[in-house]
Amino acid sequence: MVEDLAFHLADLVENAIRANASFVEIELRREGPDFFLRLRDDGVGMDEEARRRAADPFFTTKPGRRIGLGLALLRQTAEELGGEFRLNSQPGWGTEVEVRLPWAHPDRPPLGDLPGTLIPLIATSPVEFRLVFRDDRTAWTLDTREMKQALGEVPLSHPEVLSFLEGEMRKALADLGWKEAG
Amino acid sequence: MKLEELRKIRERAEAEMRLRAGEARVKIVVGMGTSGIAAGARQVLRAILDEVAQRNLRDVLVTQTGEKGLSAKEPLVEVHEPGRITIYGEVDEATARRIVVEHVLHGRILEDHLVELREVPR
Repeated sequence: MVEDLAFHLADLVENAIRANASFVEIELRREGPDFFLRLRDDGVGMDEEARRRAADPFFTTKPGRRIGLGLALLRQTAEELGGEFRLNSQPGWGTEVEVRLPWAHPDRPPLGDLPGTLIPLIATSPVEFRLVFRDDRTAWTLDTREMKQALGEVPLSHPEVLSFLEGEMRKALADLGWKEAG
Repeated sequence: MKLEELRKIRERAEAEMRLRAGEARVKIVVGMGTSGIAAGARQVLRAILDEVAQRNLRDVLVTQTGEKGLSAKEPLVEVHEPGRITIYGEVDEATARRIVVEHVLHGRILEDHLVELREVPR
């Protein structure tokens, strides 16, 4: 099973929603030879025991499932490529996951279809998002609270809004030169 | 992100919403969650949003949920209508489009992907 980074992001977002988050911040950052993926939520957070076990492939808090692979897969991917996996979480504070991956490593998972994955997810989710793509030259931000203010009663899942957002994200990715994403 | 563009969309869309003035008739819920996503729920969610947009179904609300403990049948799609909830399993992109056209638009249940049909009080 080869998972692209869009898959991992979708999975992390679902974890955050399940942890009753009301706000999720996602940052994708290219810095020198490295690519960073960071997701921070304000959900229930994890205590020490849960943290210790969260990145273990045989641990899950999801009812009815014995194996939760999301975080474990991401950690394994990062470590196999000589990158890093960090998990910060406290009950009442939320959870932050950050991975560093060497951008040019031949086995780095591809970015995948970020607009096709993230825009539908963000538009139909009950959670507020702030999404940042950046490198050392430029940054692109999407903030659902600002967008909702601009849109009033019109939902983010409105077809015109969806295609506008996908287009904007594709442009941002092209600007950043993260071409394989599109 | 140009918020000005969104304000323009808002003006157009609000005028249109005033014309139809009504609550959503149908809610489509896509089960996401790790195994759903791995099984293709992303593509399914996208196909449904796309089909709803193409057919201009403005009384249809699309939303998502986490795992439901039916991992073997994922991706799952629920169609909520007054009086009943229809649950479809092992939905791929093509089936997702059929759900919108055959079920939501024409009221025909897709027997080949039906997992459960649940009556609910109106």
